[in-house]
Amino acid sequence: MRKYWQVFKIALADRFVYRTDFFIGTFLRFTPIVTTIALWGAVYRSADREQIGDLRYGEMVSYYLIVMVSRAFGSMPGLASTLAGDIREGNLRKFIIQPLNYVIYHLHLRMAHKLVYFVMAAIPYALVFWWCREFLPGWPPRELWPICIASLMLSFVLGFLVNMAIGLLSFWFLEVTSFLFMFMVSQYFLSGHQFPLTLLPEWLERVVKFLPFAYETFYPVMLLLGKMDINEGLHVIGGQCAWIAVLAVVVTIGWRRGLRRYAAFGG
Amino acid sequence: MGTALGRYARIFGCFARNGLVRELGFRVNFVFTVISEILWLGMMLVFVKVIFGYTKNVEGWSGDEYLFLLGTHFLISSLFETFFFGNLQRVSHLIRTGDLDFVLLKPVSTQFLLSLERMDYAALANAPLGLFLCGYAFVQTGASLTAANVVMYALLVCSGVITLYSLMFMFSATSVWLIRQTSASHFWFYLTSCSKYPAEIYKPMVRGVLWFVLTFIFPVLIVANLPASVMVRSFEPFLVVYAVVSAALLLMLSSLVFNWALRWYRSASS
Repeated sequence: MRKYWQVFKIALADRFVYRTDFFIGTFLRFTPIVTTIALWGAVYRSADREQIGDLRYGEMVSYYLIVMVSRAFGSMPGLASTLAGDIREGNLRKFIIQPLNYVIYHLHLRMAHKLVYFVMAAIPYALVFWWCREFLPGWPPRELWPICIASLMLSFVLGFLVNMAIGLLSFWFLEVTSFLFMFMVSQYFLSGHQFPLTLLPEWLERVVKFLPFAYETFYPVMLLLGKMDINEGLHVIGGQCAWIAVLAVVVTIGWRRGLRRYAAFGG
Repeated sequence: MGTALGRYARIFGCFARNGLVRELGFRVNFVFTVISEILWLGMMLVFVKVIFGYTKNVEGWSGDEYLFLLGTHFLISSLFETFFFGNLQRVSHLIRTGDLDFVLLKPVSTQFLLSLERMDYAALANAPLGLFLCGYAFVQTGASLTAANVVMYALLVCSGVITLYSLMFMFSATSVWLIRQTSASHFWFYLTSCSKYPAEIYKPMVRGVLWFVLTFIFPVLIVANLPASVMVRSFEPFLVVYAVVSAALLLMLSSLVFNWALRWYRSASS
């Protein structure tokens, strides 16, 4: 366990090096919120409706704000492509000969990245949420808090496993970057990042809500938005755990099979 | 003057050929990129369909007019990405690693070399997609087609691409001070995500200040909106002139800013 603690500490230090880039990046990340507020404001005005897809205007804007929180847990930028790169260029050798599990190593890297992210992004997030306070519906009820926090944590694990599973494809296909882009595009829509899944036609909504992507973003967000009761919340947690179990098996088997095929390219 | 221009044209021809050779080496990659772009467009269309399922128009733009705007946005992004995007992304990398030295040493304009060296043919596939969407939407709106409209549209599309290029080039130049700049590509994504919707939606925000800034100072809002307006909505002479003039001015400014930023460049190698 101590070696992973070292990994965690090194990753922590590495993240603090480029602070300016980080702050600019965090603020830039919120710029689409401006578009969201403007666009949905125009849509609600033009449609002359109280609710669209079960959401009022304020809830709609809050939905996108909370998506940012949920993505802060669940998104793993560059994870799949890092794994793909390590496989393609033969860098995996360096890990195989060490008494270190590559997947667990990366899990610790990501935990460190997330921790630094939460510490450094707290101020920009708080500012943006304060600025948008008139849209927000308020804190979820006290009894839902444990479920909300658990669902965010599980969304982190789920995001990690989904990206790992995609990255593992590199063992079988040498060039996957173009595929990764397709994956990202689909994930953006299917996870409810582009718009709440409740807006979809009913038959499509039913299919999409079953996929792991919905459990990464859409469900935790609806939970935090106060659109679910305890019972529904527990169902979300159950769904997340089920998908995590499935993906954990996929990643474990995929990793073993993949290593057997691995050719360690390069000098 | 004439020979200098000819020399640059020849060099550009060379870049275009190299790009094609590179692209032909990764044919499967090309196919996948095209498929994912179609996927992206398809998902955007679902989004548009969802929104216009709830309302007949958004700030005066009908569904078909908006589709024309979206098509124009695709066309402009495609041209920008084909010629400039990959190159501009590389600028901050070159600065960080000190490899900018090799670009500076070459006997041609540094800005020219940095901006155009690599062409991305896969991104070019979006241009016909965007045009196709425009064509479909145009027929649906029933607007009339005139030579003047088409010429103006082409002119505005070009100045839109130049505007985007100049803004992003200036942004890339800031890596001289910031060194690491992974934000550059995000920045581009956000810029386009704000400009692909009708500009009017920003008018109620901060008493119109935001709309004013994004239209006149960082003119990203007129990039796709204006050409689309000219074709399917109304012709606003003042804005059209402003778009063309500001594109030219921004291009000049980008060159000034870059050369000024270079004074702070310290090579990274030993």
